[in-house]
Amino acid sequence: METNKTKWGLAGASVPIMLWTLIPIVWIVATSLKSTTALADQQQNVFGNFWPKSISWDNYSLIFTGGAKDLFVPALWHSIVVCLVATLISVVLATFCAYAIARLDFPGKKAILITALTVSFFPVIAMVTPLFNLWRILHLFDTLPGLIIPYITLTLPLSIWILSAFFQQIPWEMEQAAQVDGASSWQAFVKVVAPLAAPGVFTTAIIAFFTAWNDFVFSSNLTAARAQTVPAALNSFTGASQFTQPTGAICAAAVVVTIPVVILVLLFQRRIVAGLTSGAVKG
Amino acid sequence: MSTVAETTTGERSSARRSEKKAGLSDRTRGERRLGWKLAGPAFIVMLLVTFYPIAYALYLSLFNYRLTDPAARKFVWFQNYITSLSDPLFWKATGITAFITIVTLIVELIFGMAIAMVMNKIVLPRKTLRTVVLIPYSIITVVSAFSWLYAFKFDTGFFNHWLHFLSFGAFDPTYNWFGGTWSSLTIICLSEIWKTTPFMSLLLLAGLAQVDRSMEEAAEVDGASWWQRQVKVVFPSMKAAIMVAVVFRALDAFRIYDNPFIMTGGANNTNTLSMLVGQTTVSQAEIGMGSALAVLLFVFVLIIAAGLVRLFKVDLTGGNK
Amino acid sequence: MKNSAPRRRGIALAAAGVMLASVGLAACGSSSSSSGGKASLTWYINPDVGNTDASKGGQASLALACSKASHGEYTIKVQLLPNPADDQRTQLLRRLISGDNSMDLMSMDPAYVTQFASAKLLAPVPADKVADFTADRVPSAIKGATFDGKLIAAPFWANTQLLWYRKSVAKAAGLDMSKPVTWAQVIAAAKKEKKQIGVQAKLYEGYSVWINALVAGGGGSIVQNPSATADKTKLGLNTPAGKDAASIISQIAKSGLGGPAIGSSDETAALNLFQSGAAAFLVNWPYTYAALTGNKSDIAATIYPRTVDGKVAAPPFGGIDLAVGKTSNHVAQAYDAASCITSEANQASYMAKAGNPASRKAAFSDPAVKKAFPNGIAATILQSLGTATPRPLSPYWSDISTGLQQEFSPPASVSANTPKNAQTFISNVLKGKALL
Repeated sequence: METNKTKWGLAGASVPIMLWTLIPIVWIVATSLKSTTALADQQQNVFGNFWPKSISWDNYSLIFTGGAKDLFVPALWHSIVVCLVATLISVVLATFCAYAIARLDFPGKKAILITALTVSFFPVIAMVTPLFNLWRILHLFDTLPGLIIPYITLTLPLSIWILSAFFQQIPWEMEQAAQVDGASSWQAFVKVVAPLAAPGVFTTAIIAFFTAWNDFVFSSNLTAARAQTVPAALNSFTGASQFTQPTGAICAAAVVVTIPVVILVLLFQRRIVAGLTSGAVKG
Repeated sequence: MSTVAETTTGERSSARRSEKKAGLSDRTRGERRLGWKLAGPAFIVMLLVTFYPIAYALYLSLFNYRLTDPAARKFVWFQNYITSLSDPLFWKATGITAFITIVTLIVELIFGMAIAMVMNKIVLPRKTLRTVVLIPYSIITVVSAFSWLYAFKFDTGFFNHWLHFLSFGAFDPTYNWFGGTWSSLTIICLSEIWKTTPFMSLLLLAGLAQVDRSMEEAAEVDGASWWQRQVKVVFPSMKAAIMVAVVFRALDAFRIYDNPFIMTGGANNTNTLSMLVGQTTVSQAEIGMGSALAVLLFVFVLIIAAGLVRLFKVDLTGGNK
Repeated sequence: MKNSAPRRRGIALAAAGVMLASVGLAACGSSSSSSGGKASLTWYINPDVGNTDASKGGQASLALACSKASHGEYTIKVQLLPNPADDQRTQLLRRLISGDNSMDLMSMDPAYVTQFASAKLLAPVPADKVADFTADRVPSAIKGATFDGKLIAAPFWANTQLLWYRKSVAKAAGLDMSKPVTWAQVIAAAKKEKKQIGVQAKLYEGYSVWINALVAGGGGSIVQNPSATADKTKLGLNTPAGKDAASIISQIAKSGLGGPAIGSSDETAALNLFQSGAAAFLVNWPYTYAALTGNKSDIAATIYPRTVDGKVAAPPFGGIDLAVGKTSNHVAQAYDAASCITSEANQASYMAKAGNPASRKAAFSDPAVKKAFPNGIAATILQSLGTATPRPLSPYWSDISTGLQQEFSPPASVSANTPKNAQTFISNVLKGKALL
């Protein structure tokens, strides 16, 4: 029984929730738009040192064309390459695996799922110590493959887990029905299976990508500069010179890496929610 | 994608052929073999990239091995474990980690449930709210840490000014949140809560969606108050979702690293277990001791996981049959 | 089964593809530049005035100038290290122990050179370069770059902290700055004028710099036998000098004289505190003068404060040495480049433009340097370098330093017992009995 009163009450309740969610993001945008002097002097900002009176793009030019360019731009590329490759490998491997789990009956199915779950709760830092020593010997320290391999640890179990849940909901009988109707295997796959499976694979890829994109533990410990990703680079930012604090530059870089993921969320909100909850809760 | 096609074709023809050859048992065997062929690579890669390092850590943890002095490498049996377990610093870090885990878990459970309830029933900005709530999930933890760090720093931040204003000048605008253990931990927990509550509330929302509305309505007809309805009807019927959320978050929170690393770097006794492992390995190049700490952290996580699963009797693979 | 072969090949192909992709990426990732003839050197620089911008007169400019002057022997590419000294050490150490062959030239804090040298991670200085690298240097710079009686790196800058102050405030407080002052006097003056003192007391290497200067100024030394092995290292914290140091830190922290955020105060934060006018005194490196903006007529510098009355102060010695990694492919060219970078002309130009003092004495009488450090500041720096004391040159300094920072943090918790506790704790760490 939705009365008008509860309707408006809930709309009212959503306001503080949205404020709580958005203020830290607006804040980091605001800080990225402050000039060096505004960062040090609260007289140049309004709303209790929140928003700058005059907007400055200095921090953005610092990270794209200025002194922080050599740190930020390569890190951005490393992040994109490493996360995409790790996601691709994981999703491809997980697709085979999840297909088998969803469609075939074989012993050890449950063992694979439990392993995936266990691995996704691994304290990742525990792998840093042995990997650091191993990478040192194999000369993989501070290389892109040296980061892609540990990132598979983050993305593969997650992908197996989510994709298995997705695939179990697919009505696979349609594939056979199509073949009975005279379609070749290839046609059946392209016309029936792929469209059914693609949304799940895509969603899994987004979630896996987010997970890799978020990593700081591996990147800050297994790289130094030549394979450093954005989260680790943010931590080693320096200001324009030895005696300026990197606050503005860090915030500008943070905004740049946040925009694409927020766009992905805006576009695929429903799918991401389905993916995040599918493996965990029956429904 | 063509590989997928190839394997499906392969499977089909193999199934057909085995059918002709020897009937059902052969077909089952074929299906088993195929199952492992498809799932095997992923499984093996998973084992290689995770269990191999852990096994290697177990081996390294038995040595006194410092990379700045590799010649002095010595087999010391369980000395590293004895040193760690009898060290106050280790237990301090364990305590801080446990504190953060428990506090964030409780706050997120309450907060996540409230958000989930609003999301479940809301009509008007329904889609907007669901999208907005999801945003922190997509933000890099390090970015969240910097945002909260700068917001609470007395020189660059706004929070002290807002508190000063809201308390009619009673709050000192130069209060240094990062000057003491508890105030630092407050901000660390806030950032962690902000970042991970969306995931929690989504899990709870999925649970709420399964609650039988008719039972709730029946209770309402019987004159039960809102709170009674929640406690007697809603919470019990979404117990599974709550437990899953608790297990997932507890295990995730126990490995906290990014937020305290960025905000305090371990100052004011805010070192967590994960940070201790990182410092020992990378800053001090103590591979042996670092490995021992890593193994201990791993064991802790296993104990927590086993304890929670047994306590709640949750079948975590439930959703996945 | 016959038809399993193509499938297996499919999987194998996919795996091979992944491997190939990884190898390709590896090739991109690590660019080992061993082209014949012209050596391409990588110089890991700490942040300075221009960072990687070669137009500001920082290390990047010297890299460009020396590349040109080498007439094709080598070209130097700079790679920026993080700002905190401890992070610089961690990054260099990680690279060196993982056998990175790009470690041609490294700008390194003298406090860490010993550790790197004792771990045999540095290429020895060629005998024919020793005379060049020690010529005209201030004695503390040579001492800081020597281990086991051998020169292990080329002294580049020789840094020392000065006491910066606002003349008007010192005058109002009745503090005679023409004579050496003590910490007690500075504290009293700041209290009287309700001003703060800029210090470094964050959990980082800069805090150890302060603690060491205080202990050394009281006539003590944190490590009694720096060349001993870890378990034989004797510490000198639980001494009268150690207690004097603890008392000064505690007074400044507890009275709020170090500013509201003393526990997170590093060089930059302390500088900002002084720049804003909230602090009227500041202990900091000479670049302070160049970094300050606005009217500087009220600003002056003098010798670091004394720990106890009547004992000459022991100002912190810092700076940067140029070290060459053992795994470098171009050791000879790297040392040639070090020789060019540390030449008298380059050191003087660097000091004038970047604000970091030279290790060569002659640079201090260069007109450009005198202009950059006016009102006798240049002479004060040279005088301060005469008594400046490096942090203990022990191979275990990074552990000792971390333990020291931990035990002395937060600064407001420092008490008369802190030195004793720190001594016990660090001894246990060195013996492998305690975690850090």
